[in-house]
Amino acid sequence: MYAPPIQRLITELGKLPGVGARTAQRLAMHILRASPQDAAALAEAIREVKERIGLCEVCFNFADEPRCRICADERRDAGVICVVEEAGDVIPVERTHEFRGRYHVLGGALSPIDGVDPGDLKIGELYRRVSDPAEPIREVVLATNSTTTGEATALHIADTLRERSPDVVVTRLASGLPVGGDLEYADEVTLGKAFAGRRRL
Amino acid sequence: MFATRLRLRDFRSYERTDVALGAGLTVVHGSNGAGKTNLLEALYFGCTGRSCRTSNEREVVRFDAATTRVEVDLRDADGRAHELAVGFTPGDAKRLQADGVLVDRLVDVEMRPLVCVFMPDRLELVKGPPALRRSHIDHVIAASWPARSATRRSYGRALAQRNALLAGIRSGRSSRDSLPAWDAELARHGIALRDDRAAAIELLAPRFSTLAGALGLGAGAELRYRPRSRAADAQQLAAELAQRTDSDLDRGFTGHGPHRDDLALLRDGRELRSYGSQGEQRLALLALLLAEREALAEARSTVPLMLLDDVMSELDPDRRAMLAELLRGAGQSVVTTTDLAHVPGAAGAGVTRLAVAGGAVLQDAAAAA
Repeated sequence: MYAPPIQRLITELGKLPGVGARTAQRLAMHILRASPQDAAALAEAIREVKERIGLCEVCFNFADEPRCRICADERRDAGVICVVEEAGDVIPVERTHEFRGRYHVLGGALSPIDGVDPGDLKIGELYRRVSDPAEPIREVVLATNSTTTGEATALHIADTLRERSPDVVVTRLASGLPVGGDLEYADEVTLGKAFAGRRRL
Repeated sequence: MFATRLRLRDFRSYERTDVALGAGLTVVHGSNGAGKTNLLEALYFGCTGRSCRTSNEREVVRFDAATTRVEVDLRDADGRAHELAVGFTPGDAKRLQADGVLVDRLVDVEMRPLVCVFMPDRLELVKGPPALRRSHIDHVIAASWPARSATRRSYGRALAQRNALLAGIRSGRSSRDSLPAWDAELARHGIALRDDRAAAIELLAPRFSTLAGALGLGAGAELRYRPRSRAADAQQLAAELAQRTDSDLDRGFTGHGPHRDDLALLRDGRELRSYGSQGEQRLALLALLLAEREALAEARSTVPLMLLDDVMSELDPDRRAMLAELLRGAGQSVVTTTDLAHVPGAAGAGVTRLAVAGGAVLQDAAAAA
């Protein structure tokens, strides 16, 4: 139906998450109508991000240098590590401005069904970081998702750290109600979990 | 909360029907194949968005028709009217509406009446494998305490992951390193599931014994939970799983935990599943469903709608009388029968009678007025 170059663009756009066949078509038409400069800027941005962005050698967050901005920042507390599943999880934690430590990105969560074992994640690198005498670690915050795979990953790391580095405090994020959210709109599972974890005032 | 009217279009043998239901007992009578069960199924379909008879829901659409629609009018405890509607075209997503508003699932609709359904093929619940009883009790848990409905799913996911890991270890693809973490995660959900089941059965057991006695099953009828594990907490269950790792690896799946639980229906200590007669098994199923109705009525402060298909045919006159009295006692129920005389008291006041013939319903004039 389309000339081959257009079809190719639609196919490539359709591979993006959340983009179906119709949206891919719309985006392709938009690009076709756009000025040559705009289209070139998009292509250049995609090319540059793949060329210049790699993984931080310490925490495996995205970085445009050997170390990411957070690991390179001397003002950050080197004694606390927040462990997250994906690099995208760093942003929401950063937005809180509550956490002044550094990160460790695992690159996923344990999921035997998908063939993801501890060896497929950056878990060994985390243990080496924690036991590195050059930068002593006081606390490891496990901020993996509160899904079955995220919980199992947190349990696995907590178990191993307890053995390998008994002096390090291992903590897990709490789960429950969103702040500012009305009780009225909470789904029953979240609210039930919040009830189970209620505390005395 | 009770259903006041049922309207259907192109549902099974019905082209178009509009029937008024009684607030108490409604008796649907007619000859074999007249469409009695179809009417019951339609009511269930309209209240839940699912069929209680078939997993192939295409069957509910009338032959030659493309779309079926079922509407149920309801009246709540304060006398306010509500309406549920289910539109279904095979191949498309169902259109579920509550008071005219589209919803994803009727289960989440607060004003939806809870439904307990007896059908002859549900005797499998008493006679069949434990998996049916586990799944049934988990449904009771979800209906009684909506917040706990996720436990079964979470347990299932963790179990699938652990089994996948066992397979990986067996084939040498995976190491055993992460097994303790999966044991702990499985045990966490496993203990929650077992405790929910224990709590649900604790609610049901005394009612089951009383109702089974009232239905003439004798004084020794008993509902008992047989959990696979008696672990005190998640840590202990995880330890039990760890002890069995080698045999699990031999088999390639997890052999211990609540997915191996059973729910035993007993009389004088013997399993009705193996030792009960057909009639006794039927009475046990009835007692179980009636016990659920009472337990749900207490947990959710609304009496579930009771649908009973062809329940009287195999009961003797005394037991028919006892069942009819229980049904007239409280809440709304709809019973089908080939013979009106099989439902004691059906001719009395306060009972709605619907005669069904050839895919049409003849409303009893006195009751409809």
